[in-house]
Amino acid sequence: MKIALRLVLLAALAALGVWLWMILFPSPEKVIRQRFAALARAASSSADESDLMRLAAGQNVAGFFSTNVELKVEIPNFNDHSSVEREEIAQAVVIGRSRSGGLKVTFPDVNVAVNPDKLSAVADVTVDADVRGEHDSFLQEMKFTLHKVDGQWLIIRVETVRVLS
Amino acid sequence: MMDPSQEEQPSAGSQPAGWSRWLRIVVAGRNPKATLVRVGVLIVTCFLLFNRFVLLPIQIEGISMLPTYKDGSWNFVNALAYLQHGPRRGDVVSIRLAGIHRMYLKRIIGLPGETVAFENGHVLIDGQVLDEPYEKTPCDWDYPPVKLGPDEYFAVGDNRTMPWQAHKFGRVGRDHIVGKAIL
Repeated sequence: MKIALRLVLLAALAALGVWLWMILFPSPEKVIRQRFAALARAASSSADESDLMRLAAGQNVAGFFSTNVELKVEIPNFNDHSSVEREEIAQAVVIGRSRSGGLKVTFPDVNVAVNPDKLSAVADVTVDADVRGEHDSFLQEMKFTLHKVDGQWLIIRVETVRVLS
Repeated sequence: MMDPSQEEQPSAGSQPAGWSRWLRIVVAGRNPKATLVRVGVLIVTCFLLFNRFVLLPIQIEGISMLPTYKDGSWNFVNALAYLQHGPRRGDVVSIRLAGIHRMYLKRIIGLPGETVAFENGHVLIDGQVLDEPYEKTPCDWDYPPVKLGPDEYFAVGDNRTMPWQAHKFGRVGRDHIVGKAIL
Protein backbone atom coordinates (compact mmCIF):
# COMPACT_ATOMS: atom_id res chain seq x y z
CA MET A 1 0.00 0.00 0.00
CA LYS A 2 2.83 2.35 0.87
CA ILE A 3 4.55 1.63 -2.43
CA ALA A 4 1.34 2.33 -4.34
CA LEU A 5 0.86 5.58 -2.49
CA ARG A 6 4.44 6.60 -3.20
CA LEU A 7 4.00 5.78 -6.87
CA VAL A 8 0.85 7.88 -7.06
CA LEU A 9 2.58 10.77 -5.31
CA LEU A 10 5.57 10.43 -7.63
CA ALA A 11 3.30 10.48 -10.69
CA ALA A 12 1.45 13.54 -9.35
CA LEU A 13 4.77 15.26 -8.70
CA ALA A 14 5.98 14.45 -12.20
CA ALA A 15 2.73 15.79 -13.70
CA LEU A 16 3.09 18.97 -11.65
CA GLY A 17 6.68 19.32 -12.84
CA VAL A 18 5.69 18.90 -16.48
CA TRP A 19 2.85 21.42 -16.05
CA LEU A 20 5.18 23.96 -14.41
CA TRP A 21 7.79 23.41 -17.12
CA MET A 22 5.16 24.07 -19.80
CA ILE A 23 4.05 27.25 -18.02
CA LEU A 24 7.57 28.56 -17.48
CA PHE A 25 9.03 27.44 -20.80
CA PRO A 26 6.20 27.39 -23.34
CA SER A 27 6.82 25.86 -26.75
CA PRO A 28 7.21 28.22 -29.75
CA GLU A 29 3.83 26.99 -31.03
CA LYS A 30 2.13 28.04 -27.82
CA VAL A 31 3.91 31.41 -27.80
CA ILE A 32 2.80 32.07 -31.39
CA ARG A 33 -0.80 31.10 -30.57
CA GLN A 34 -0.73 33.49 -27.64
CA ARG A 35 0.64 36.20 -29.97
CA PHE A 36 -2.27 35.70 -32.35
CA ALA A 37 -4.76 35.82 -29.49
CA ALA A 38 -3.17 39.11 -28.38
CA LEU A 39 -3.21 40.41 -31.97
CA ALA A 40 -6.93 39.64 -32.25
CA ARG A 41 -7.61 41.58 -29.06
CA ALA A 42 -5.47 44.50 -30.25
CA ALA A 43 -7.11 44.58 -33.67
CA SER A 44 -10.64 44.59 -32.26
CA SER A 45 -12.20 47.95 -31.59
CA SER A 46 -15.29 49.45 -30.03
CA ALA A 47 -17.52 52.12 -31.52
CA ASP A 48 -16.77 54.79 -28.91
CA GLU A 49 -13.00 54.99 -29.32
CA SER A 50 -11.17 58.26 -28.88
CA ASP A 51 -8.47 59.42 -31.32
CA LEU A 52 -5.80 58.78 -28.72
CA MET A 53 -7.03 55.22 -28.22
CA ARG A 54 -6.93 54.69 -31.98
CA LEU A 55 -3.35 55.91 -32.19
CA ALA A 56 -2.31 53.64 -29.33
CA ALA A 57 -4.12 50.71 -30.91
CA GLY A 58 -2.38 51.37 -34.24
CA GLN A 59 1.03 51.23 -32.57
CA ASN A 60 0.00 48.18 -30.60
CA VAL A 61 -1.10 46.25 -33.70
CA ALA A 62 1.98 47.36 -35.65
CA GLY A 63 4.14 45.97 -32.84
CA PHE A 64 3.18 42.45 -33.91
CA PHE A 65 4.79 43.02 -37.31
CA SER A 66 8.36 43.30 -38.49
CA THR A 67 9.74 46.66 -39.68
CA ASN A 68 9.10 45.53 -43.26
CA VAL A 69 6.19 43.27 -44.07
CA GLU A 70 5.59 41.52 -47.34
CA LEU A 71 1.91 41.45 -48.25
CA LYS A 72 0.34 39.17 -50.79
CA VAL A 73 -3.32 39.74 -50.11
CA GLU A 74 -6.49 40.08 -52.10
CA ILE A 75 -8.25 43.06 -50.63
CA PRO A 76 -10.18 45.57 -52.77
CA ASN A 77 -8.16 48.72 -53.61
CA PHE A 78 -4.97 47.07 -52.50
CA ASN A 79 -2.01 45.92 -54.56
CA ASP A 80 -1.82 42.17 -54.87
CA HIS A 81 1.81 42.01 -53.89
CA SER A 82 3.54 44.76 -52.01
CA SER A 83 5.79 45.57 -49.12
CA VAL A 84 4.74 47.85 -46.29
CA GLU A 85 6.53 49.34 -43.34
CA ARG A 86 5.42 48.97 -39.77
CA GLU A 87 4.44 52.63 -39.60
CA GLU A 88 2.14 52.23 -42.59
CA ILE A 89 0.40 49.36 -40.79
CA ALA A 90 -0.13 51.58 -37.76
CA GLN A 91 -1.63 54.31 -39.97
CA ALA A 92 -3.86 51.83 -41.79
CA VAL A 93 -5.15 50.50 -38.45
CA VAL A 94 -5.95 54.04 -37.25
CA ILE A 95 -7.79 54.88 -40.49
CA GLY A 96 -9.64 51.57 -40.48
CA ARG A 97 -10.76 52.00 -36.89
CA SER A 98 -11.94 55.56 -37.47
CA ARG A 99 -14.08 54.44 -40.43
CA SER A 100 -15.65 51.40 -38.83
CA GLY A 101 -18.17 51.65 -36.06
CA GLY A 102 -16.60 48.76 -34.20
CA LEU A 103 -14.72 45.66 -35.18
CA LYS A 104 -14.36 42.26 -33.59
CA VAL A 105 -11.45 40.18 -34.84
CA THR A 106 -10.99 36.52 -33.93
CA PHE A 107 -8.67 33.78 -35.11
CA PRO A 108 -10.77 30.67 -34.53
CA ASP A 109 -8.20 28.33 -36.08
CA VAL A 110 -4.44 28.78 -35.83
CA ASN A 111 -2.19 26.02 -37.17
CA VAL A 112 1.47 26.66 -36.44
CA ALA A 113 4.43 24.93 -38.05
CA VAL A 114 7.76 25.95 -36.53
CA ASN A 115 10.80 25.41 -38.74
CA PRO A 116 13.62 23.19 -37.40
CA ASP A 117 15.80 26.24 -36.74
CA LYS A 118 13.15 27.41 -34.20
CA LEU A 119 13.62 30.94 -35.50
CA SER A 120 10.94 31.02 -38.16
CA ALA A 121 7.44 29.65 -38.41
CA VAL A 122 4.40 29.58 -40.65
CA ALA A 123 0.91 29.98 -39.24
CA ASP A 124 -2.18 29.02 -41.20
CA VAL A 125 -4.95 31.13 -39.70
CA THR A 126 -8.67 31.66 -40.17
CA VAL A 127 -9.40 35.36 -39.86
CA ASP A 128 -12.94 36.27 -38.80
CA ALA A 129 -13.61 39.99 -38.73
CA ASP A 130 -17.05 41.08 -37.66
CA VAL A 131 -17.74 44.70 -38.57
CA ARG A 132 -20.47 46.29 -36.47
CA GLY A 133 -23.59 46.97 -38.49
CA GLU A 134 -22.73 44.59 -41.31
CA HIS A 135 -24.60 41.33 -41.61
CA ASP A 136 -21.87 39.10 -43.03
CA SER A 137 -18.50 38.85 -41.39
CA PHE A 138 -15.22 38.85 -43.29
CA LEU A 139 -13.96 35.30 -43.33
CA GLN A 140 -10.62 34.46 -44.85
CA GLU A 141 -7.85 31.92 -44.53
CA MET A 142 -4.45 33.59 -44.34
CA LYS A 143 -0.88 32.41 -44.09
CA PHE A 144 1.48 34.32 -41.80
CA THR A 145 5.24 33.88 -41.83
CA LEU A 146 6.93 34.81 -38.58
CA HIS A 147 10.53 35.34 -37.55
CA LYS A 148 11.92 35.37 -34.06
CA VAL A 149 13.66 38.73 -33.62
CA ASP A 150 15.20 39.59 -30.24
CA GLY A 151 13.10 36.92 -28.57
CA GLN A 152 9.83 38.11 -30.12
CA TRP A 153 7.86 36.43 -32.86
CA LEU A 154 7.16 39.09 -35.50
CA ILE A 155 5.08 38.74 -38.65
CA ILE A 156 7.17 39.27 -41.77
CA ARG A 157 4.79 38.05 -44.46
CA VAL A 158 1.02 37.91 -44.87
CA GLU A 159 -0.56 35.93 -47.67
CA THR A 160 -4.16 35.24 -48.64
CA VAL A 161 -5.07 31.57 -49.06
CA ARG A 162 -7.77 31.13 -51.67
CA VAL A 163 -10.13 28.38 -50.58
CA LEU A 164 -12.90 29.21 -53.05
CA SER A 165 -11.47 30.68 -56.24
CA MET B 1 -38.97 -11.62 11.51
CA MET B 2 -39.88 -8.40 9.71
CA ASP B 3 -43.28 -7.90 8.18
CA PRO B 4 -42.85 -7.23 4.42
CA SER B 5 -45.63 -4.67 4.48
CA GLN B 6 -43.63 -2.67 7.01
CA GLU B 7 -40.61 -2.71 4.72
CA GLU B 8 -42.58 -1.26 1.79
CA GLN B 9 -44.31 1.41 3.81
CA PRO B 10 -41.75 3.16 5.99
CA SER B 11 -42.98 5.02 9.01
CA ALA B 12 -43.09 8.81 9.14
CA GLY B 13 -39.90 8.91 11.21
CA SER B 14 -37.80 7.11 8.55
CA GLN B 15 -39.06 9.28 5.62
CA PRO B 16 -36.00 11.60 5.34
CA ALA B 17 -33.69 8.59 5.06
CA GLY B 18 -35.96 7.10 2.38
CA TRP B 19 -35.97 10.32 0.40
CA SER B 20 -32.19 10.68 0.54
CA ARG B 21 -31.79 7.08 -0.64
CA TRP B 22 -34.25 7.72 -3.45
CA LEU B 23 -32.38 10.89 -4.45
CA ARG B 24 -29.06 9.06 -4.39
CA ILE B 25 -30.45 6.36 -6.66
CA VAL B 26 -31.80 8.98 -9.08
CA VAL B 27 -28.49 10.87 -9.22
CA ALA B 28 -25.92 8.10 -8.99
CA GLY B 29 -27.89 4.91 -9.64
CA ARG B 30 -28.01 1.79 -7.50
CA ASN B 31 -24.33 1.17 -8.16
CA PRO B 32 -22.48 4.53 -8.21
CA LYS B 33 -19.27 3.01 -9.61
CA ALA B 34 -21.06 1.46 -12.56
CA THR B 35 -22.94 4.74 -13.13
CA LEU B 36 -19.65 6.63 -13.17
CA VAL B 37 -18.25 4.25 -15.79
CA ARG B 38 -21.44 4.58 -17.87
CA VAL B 39 -21.29 8.38 -17.68
CA GLY B 40 -17.61 8.31 -18.70
CA VAL B 41 -18.32 6.07 -21.68
CA LEU B 42 -21.26 8.29 -22.68
CA ILE B 43 -19.12 11.45 -22.50
CA VAL B 44 -16.32 9.90 -24.60
CA THR B 45 -18.83 8.53 -27.14
CA CYS B 46 -20.59 11.91 -27.45
CA PHE B 47 -17.27 13.69 -27.80
CA LEU B 48 -16.13 11.33 -30.56
CA LEU B 49 -19.50 11.48 -32.27
CA PHE B 50 -20.15 15.19 -32.10
CA ASN B 51 -16.75 16.77 -32.13
CA ARG B 52 -14.77 16.51 -35.32
CA PHE B 53 -14.96 12.80 -36.05
CA VAL B 54 -18.46 11.97 -37.22
CA LEU B 55 -21.15 14.59 -36.78
CA LEU B 56 -20.09 18.20 -36.54
CA PRO B 57 -22.73 20.56 -35.23
CA ILE B 58 -22.76 23.82 -37.18
CA GLN B 59 -24.69 27.05 -36.97
CA ILE B 60 -25.30 28.76 -40.29
CA GLU B 61 -24.38 32.43 -40.50
CA GLY B 62 -25.23 34.55 -43.50
CA ILE B 63 -27.68 34.40 -46.36
CA SER B 64 -25.68 32.69 -49.10
CA MET B 65 -27.60 29.41 -48.78
CA LEU B 66 -31.10 30.91 -48.71
CA PRO B 67 -33.78 29.67 -49.12
CA THR B 68 -32.44 26.18 -48.37
CA TYR B 69 -30.76 27.15 -45.09
CA LYS B 70 -31.77 30.18 -43.07
CA ASP B 71 -29.41 32.44 -41.21
CA GLY B 72 -28.98 31.24 -37.64
CA SER B 73 -30.28 27.72 -38.24
CA TRP B 74 -28.46 24.63 -37.01
CA ASN B 75 -27.29 21.63 -38.95
CA PHE B 76 -24.89 18.71 -38.74
CA VAL B 77 -22.08 17.77 -41.06
CA ASN B 78 -21.37 14.11 -41.64
CA ALA B 79 -17.59 13.90 -41.75
CA LEU B 80 -17.70 10.28 -42.92
CA ALA B 81 -19.93 10.95 -45.94
CA TYR B 82 -17.08 10.88 -48.44
CA LEU B 83 -15.04 7.95 -47.21
CA GLN B 84 -16.31 5.65 -49.96
CA HIS B 85 -16.85 8.20 -52.73
CA GLY B 86 -16.24 11.85 -53.49
CA PRO B 87 -18.82 14.63 -53.23
CA ARG B 88 -21.70 14.38 -55.70
CA ARG B 89 -23.40 17.09 -57.68
CA GLY B 90 -26.12 18.74 -55.62
CA ASP B 91 -24.55 17.84 -52.26
CA VAL B 92 -24.39 20.62 -49.70
CA VAL B 93 -20.93 20.43 -48.20
CA SER B 94 -18.96 22.21 -45.54
CA ILE B 95 -15.67 23.69 -46.66
CA ARG B 96 -13.01 24.32 -44.07
CA LEU B 97 -10.55 27.18 -43.94
CA ALA B 98 -7.54 26.81 -41.61
CA GLY B 99 -9.66 24.57 -39.38
CA ILE B 100 -13.21 23.51 -38.72
CA HIS B 101 -14.30 26.25 -36.33
CA ARG B 102 -15.41 28.46 -39.24
CA MET B 103 -16.51 26.85 -42.48
CA TYR B 104 -18.34 27.70 -45.66
CA LEU B 105 -21.55 25.87 -46.48
CA LYS B 106 -22.00 25.55 -50.25
CA ARG B 107 -23.55 23.32 -52.87
CA ILE B 108 -21.40 21.27 -55.23
CA ILE B 109 -22.36 21.92 -58.84
CA GLY B 110 -19.18 21.01 -60.70
CA LEU B 111 -17.16 17.79 -60.51
CA PRO B 112 -13.46 17.17 -61.24
CA GLY B 113 -12.48 17.65 -64.87
CA GLU B 114 -15.66 19.53 -65.81
CA THR B 115 -15.94 23.07 -67.15
CA VAL B 116 -18.38 25.25 -65.22
CA ALA B 117 -19.81 28.57 -66.38
CA PHE B 118 -22.78 30.84 -65.70
CA GLU B 119 -24.80 32.22 -68.61
CA ASN B 120 -27.86 34.40 -68.02
CA GLY B 121 -28.15 32.91 -64.56
CA HIS B 122 -28.01 29.30 -65.78
CA VAL B 123 -25.21 26.96 -64.78
CA LEU B 124 -23.48 25.35 -67.74
CA ILE B 125 -21.55 22.12 -67.21
CA ASP B 126 -19.38 21.39 -70.23
CA GLY B 127 -21.74 23.62 -72.22
CA GLN B 128 -24.94 21.89 -71.06
CA VAL B 129 -27.51 23.64 -68.86
CA LEU B 130 -27.65 22.11 -65.39
CA ASP B 131 -31.08 21.39 -63.95
CA GLU B 132 -31.19 22.85 -60.46
CA PRO B 133 -34.51 22.05 -58.72
CA TYR B 134 -33.20 23.57 -55.47
CA GLU B 135 -32.63 26.93 -57.15
CA LYS B 136 -35.70 29.07 -56.49
CA THR B 137 -34.32 32.59 -56.61
CA PRO B 138 -33.85 34.68 -59.75
CA CYS B 139 -30.30 34.88 -61.04
CA ASP B 140 -28.68 36.83 -63.87
CA TRP B 141 -25.07 35.83 -63.41
CA ASP B 142 -22.63 35.66 -66.29
CA TYR B 143 -19.36 34.09 -65.33
CA PRO B 144 -16.62 32.84 -67.66
CA PRO B 145 -15.92 29.10 -67.94
CA VAL B 146 -13.76 27.54 -65.25
CA LYS B 147 -11.98 24.27 -65.99
CA LEU B 148 -11.74 22.12 -62.87
CA GLY B 149 -8.64 20.12 -62.06
CA PRO B 150 -8.60 16.38 -61.26
CA ASP B 151 -9.15 17.02 -57.55
CA GLU B 152 -11.30 20.13 -57.71
CA TYR B 153 -15.01 20.78 -57.29
CA PHE B 154 -17.09 23.86 -58.03
CA ALA B 155 -19.10 25.08 -55.03
CA VAL B 156 -21.67 27.86 -54.90
CA GLY B 157 -24.44 29.02 -52.59
CA ASP B 158 -28.14 28.68 -53.42
CA ASN B 159 -28.86 32.38 -52.99
CA ARG B 160 -27.80 33.97 -56.25
CA THR B 161 -29.95 37.08 -56.01
CA MET B 162 -26.96 39.27 -55.25
CA PRO B 163 -24.27 40.12 -57.85
CA TRP B 164 -21.72 37.33 -58.22
CA GLN B 165 -18.99 39.71 -57.04
CA ALA B 166 -20.65 39.76 -53.63
CA HIS B 167 -20.92 35.98 -53.41
CA LYS B 168 -18.14 33.64 -52.30
CA PHE B 169 -18.00 30.71 -54.72
CA GLY B 170 -15.69 28.86 -57.06
CA ARG B 171 -13.15 26.06 -57.21
CA VAL B 172 -12.42 24.14 -54.05
CA GLY B 173 -9.90 21.38 -53.46
CA ARG B 174 -11.12 17.99 -52.23
CA ASP B 175 -8.90 18.36 -49.14
CA HIS B 176 -10.94 21.38 -48.01
CA ILE B 177 -14.28 19.57 -48.13
CA VAL B 178 -15.01 18.33 -44.61
CA GLY B 179 -18.31 16.56 -45.10
CA LYS B 180 -21.92 16.69 -46.16
CA ALA B 181 -24.76 18.56 -44.47
CA ILE B 182 -27.29 16.00 -43.31
CA LEU B 183 -30.45 18.06 -42.74
